Amino acid sequence: MKEMILQELTRTAHDLTQAFAHLVPRLIVMLIIIAAGWVIAWVVKLVVRGILRVTGFERLSQKAGAARLLTQAALPSSSELLSRLVFWLVWLGFILLGIGALGILGLQDLIPRLVLFLPRILVALLILFFGMVLAGFLSRAALLAAVNANSPSARLISGFVHFAVVILAIAMAFEQLGLAQQTVLVAFTILFGALMLGLAIAFGLGGQELARRALERRFGPPSKAEREDDLSPL
Amino acid sequence: MARPPTTTDALWYKDAIIYQAHVRAFSDSTADGVGDFAGFAGKLDYLQQLGVTALWLMPFFPSPLRDDGYDISDYCAVHKSYGSLEDFRSFLDAAHQRGIRVIIELVLNHTSDQHPWFQESRSSRDNPKRDWYVWSDTDTRYHGTRIIFVDTEMSNWSWDPVSKAYYWHRFFSHQPDLNYDNPEVREEMWRVMKFWLDLGVDGFRLDAVPYLVEREGTSCENLPETHAVIREFRARLDAEYPGRMLLAEANQWPGDLRPYFGEGDEFHMAFHFPLMPRMFLGLKLEDRKPILETLQRTPEIPPSCQWCLFLRNHDELTLEMVTEIERDYMYDVYAGDRSMRLNLGIRRRLAPLLENDRRRIELMNGMMMSLPGTPIVYYGDEIGMGDNIFLGDRNGVRTPMQWSGGWNAGFSTADPESLYSPLILNPVFGYQAVNVTSQQRSEHSLLAWMRRLIAVRKASPVFGRGSIEFLRPANHRVLAYVRQLGNERVLVVNNLSHAAQAVELDLSRYKGRVLIEMFGRNLFPRIGDLPYLLTLGPYQFYWFRMRKV
Amino acid sequence: MAEENILPDEFLRQLMNVGEVDLVVAVPTHNHARTIARVVEAVRLGLVTYLPRERAVLVAADGGSRDGSLSLALEAAAAPLPAEAELRYLRTFQVVGGTYANGAGNHSPLRLVLAAADLLQAKACAVLSPSASVAPEWVERLLAPVYRKGFDYVAPLYRRHRFHGLLVRILLYPMVRALYGKRIHEPYAADFAFSGRLGADLLAGPEPAAPGDAADYLRAPLCALTSNYRVCEAFLGPREQTELAADLVPALRQTVGPLFRSMEEHPGCWQAAKGSEPLPVESGQEEITSEPLRLNRKRFHQMFCSGVADLHPVLATILTGETLADLGACAALGEQAFRFPDELWAKTVYECAASFHRNAISRDHLLQAMAPLYRGKVYEFLGHTRHSPPEEFEARVEALCLAFERLKPYLLQMWGGRQGGTP
Repeated sequence: MKEMILQELTRTAHDLTQAFAHLVPRLIVMLIIIAAGWVIAWVVKLVVRGILRVTGFERLSQKAGAARLLTQAALPSSSELLSRLVFWLVWLGFILLGIGALGILGLQDLIPRLVLFLPRILVALLILFFGMVLAGFLSRAALLAAVNANSPSARLISGFVHFAVVILAIAMAFEQLGLAQQTVLVAFTILFGALMLGLAIAFGLGGQELARRALERRFGPPSKAEREDDLSPL
Repeated sequence: MARPPTTTDALWYKDAIIYQAHVRAFSDSTADGVGDFAGFAGKLDYLQQLGVTALWLMPFFPSPLRDDGYDISDYCAVHKSYGSLEDFRSFLDAAHQRGIRVIIELVLNHTSDQHPWFQESRSSRDNPKRDWYVWSDTDTRYHGTRIIFVDTEMSNWSWDPVSKAYYWHRFFSHQPDLNYDNPEVREEMWRVMKFWLDLGVDGFRLDAVPYLVEREGTSCENLPETHAVIREFRARLDAEYPGRMLLAEANQWPGDLRPYFGEGDEFHMAFHFPLMPRMFLGLKLEDRKPILETLQRTPEIPPSCQWCLFLRNHDELTLEMVTEIERDYMYDVYAGDRSMRLNLGIRRRLAPLLENDRRRIELMNGMMMSLPGTPIVYYGDEIGMGDNIFLGDRNGVRTPMQWSGGWNAGFSTADPESLYSPLILNPVFGYQAVNVTSQQRSEHSLLAWMRRLIAVRKASPVFGRGSIEFLRPANHRVLAYVRQLGNERVLVVNNLSHAAQAVELDLSRYKGRVLIEMFGRNLFPRIGDLPYLLTLGPYQFYWFRMRKV
Repeated sequence: MAEENILPDEFLRQLMNVGEVDLVVAVPTHNHARTIARVVEAVRLGLVTYLPRERAVLVAADGGSRDGSLSLALEAAAAPLPAEAELRYLRTFQVVGGTYANGAGNHSPLRLVLAAADLLQAKACAVLSPSASVAPEWVERLLAPVYRKGFDYVAPLYRRHRFHGLLVRILLYPMVRALYGKRIHEPYAADFAFSGRLGADLLAGPEPAAPGDAADYLRAPLCALTSNYRVCEAFLGPREQTELAADLVPALRQTVGPLFRSMEEHPGCWQAAKGSEPLPVESGQEEITSEPLRLNRKRFHQMFCSGVADLHPVLATILTGETLADLGACAALGEQAFRFPDELWAKTVYECAASFHRNAISRDHLLQAMAPLYRGKVYEFLGHTRHSPPEEFEARVEALCLAFERLKPYLLQMWGGRQGGTP
């Protein structure tokens, strides 16, 4: 009995080492491919950057207003962004190639599916990107408005707005990716709805005066008594 | 007294075209340097050709001539410089033969102190003619009455050393006022009028009528008693001499002038003094407002009565009947040179006032001929004569008539130095540039144009007798009105601006009528639903007959 | 030319009927039914009393009022004058009324007025705001320098409380003065006059960016200052509080925004000027009153401090690190020891202008961010001048202006390209 188990074990160990021995070169190949890919991608990125610089892409993007958007969102310049994107695309390609070289059957099927999945990832990234930009813009607008209305919790409001928009963007990205769609949707709805309800109650009950005054100011004739003092800037 | 075939229409003065002239200035046949009746008679053909239908002669009676003939020393004679009574009679007949009526001046209010009546009156207190004038032992009666010739007289009373009393005079001190409270005076003045009427004169311009009667505690002007005197004269005139006319010289606001028409039982005509300066004002402002307002404030007059319209006359362009603001403006724009100003007026002729601008002269004449009233043309203005402001007083506008470019402008064959007044000599208005002969030779002269204007005006009785309705287009530079008589309707549009104008007239009441321009008799578009659009050149005017076809 | 598109047919017909004029007095209205009748009366009286011989027209330019301001204006103009005034006025009184397109067409009232003045060949044109403080003399004081003395632009001077219009006094006036080298006290005048020549120039310029923009009201004096026109100031009288932009942020949007934008449009115009010269003044000096006024100074300080703190990330993109640090230091000083040096204020404004030009952040946000900083300066200004006599007050303002002028090279430097703010 002991001999049979030992024999089985050695045979399995032997099979394993055999498989491993087969795998290792492929692994090494994969690593080589990835490494090579990194180098090539890096070179390509440099080339792209150079081309963009020569063709004046920066200026073009500035004219299109994209540059402004990027600086406001605290992102690097558009040519840099583009060259980095190219870098990642190329390297990703090589990684996929490398994984393909591993020859693991399951993975072989996975790769085309992954490739098909890529555009959705791109779209989700875009959504996230614009969501970030919008969050920054809106939160800043809220901050300024709150500061100028002499509200004590200006930063809080601004942060909240930023948070809300980011959450919205993430939710939309997730939906785009198709990950946990229902969960995300329901969770987001509940969160958002509760938030709005809370705001409405707070505003309606507690902020009656404020609301009335704000509406009067917007739609009715100006009245001196509302203002804090008699100073007028103009 | 021969009455040749002039119309016996009692309202002839409504259609008349009156020509104002001084015998002295018109034509000299005796070579003494002063015009006379014989000479004037020789020029009546010219006036007939012009289209004139009535003449108004300035005073030609014997007079010391200290007030240009308005100080009369004999009412029933002719000053020897102008000829004899016979000359006047022939002149009158010649005029009548050409269909021209003659209106003479009669100064009712006062005489010269050289008049025999005054000589008698002052000789003693018991003289039968003593009460013919207004005497007083003190100069305090009628206190507060205004002085008319402010520049020369200090008081309305003057002391007479001969009769040792004061006598009343509203004008110069050598023109004592007659006393109209005295029936003898009234009778005598009627006899004077009868004298001239019997000769054949067609009407009188009665000078200085507001001042006939004085009463204590009043302004001594426009008193009811004065009106009674006028009514008396008028009644006698109508009874014995139908068809003769009385014209009032009363420089008053229209409201005060109205009583002089009475109920058609006083004067037939009166001068519309306030309108004249406002026509010049409106022209300079390029705004119809002054003209329109004056005419609207003009009161209604009895149907047999008529206003007299004029642009200029022998006096200064009087600015008495305008507000101070208007007077200042008129002085500034029309008489920048102070020497042109006199006695609250401007002493210039028509052409120099309008800067010899042919278009403006035409416009003003056109307005005068189309507004309601009888037009009076001052001698010389039909050829655009100039003036001489360096002659004193108002003599600058009373220079000899310029007939030709030759010796003495054809006025007289005497020595140029012996003329009663120097001629106009400058190259612009001088007699060689402006005279009747050269203008008669051209179809485009002012004279020819005036002739055509008068002819068109005479062709339609609507101008003299019709009513007036003002249109008020949004463009205030355009004065537009409609004259109407019976079925006849005439549209008059005047552009008071130096620039071309477009104007939209609301003629909806006359919809469907066709407009026919009266000078060329060309057709203009029919009046439709839309406002009627007209364009006018600088200072242009149109007369349209609105015909229902 | 653009006029034909601006002028509605009816308006054009009215202009045709008016013909050539010497003077235009324009009153732009927008829901001013309360005061417009009085203003029209004052204008009429002014024309009749002071300029009776000139050909004049009153233009009522309405911006789509919903309270019938235009018809009220026309009614008031057609009403009969008092008797003595009627006698004095020899001409027909002309009035023209029109509505300019708002919203859909971007035409501001000034454009309509410019077109009217140009078509009517006016020699002088005055624009009056329909506020209750307009008096008949204003018409003469604005028009006389243009019509009789040959100036091209007349800016107003008012009698106001010293603390009203501080935005003008501590920001707009010093800045315009430093930029263009002329001491124009009211660069945003709603009551001003211009000559026919200047009007034609303005008409030929570009149209305003947005309806209701005060940019047109700024362009007139700037155009006059930069293009060699003769400019003067005329004292008008007391000025009623304006309802427009009684709040700070809209005021900033309407005034500082166009000012910064104008700097971009013609950089050559303002970069060259050095120092400043006073303008000739007609009919009296500016008057400053100091009745007691309800003030809440504490609030300004508090908003400044909280603004600097809360807006730190935003301000960091607009201002240089140094300036921001200085501002922080001021905020930390507390109420009693508060200081806000003139130089710091000038630098702040200039850096904002430069960042505006560079589009560092959204322009509207930039203007909003300036509000708390302005409040800080106001607090400091109020503190120093609340109880000082008029001469000292003037001296303070003058010192501030000189600071702006001194630091102009700094502005040029910032504008030129040295990057400010953290990228």
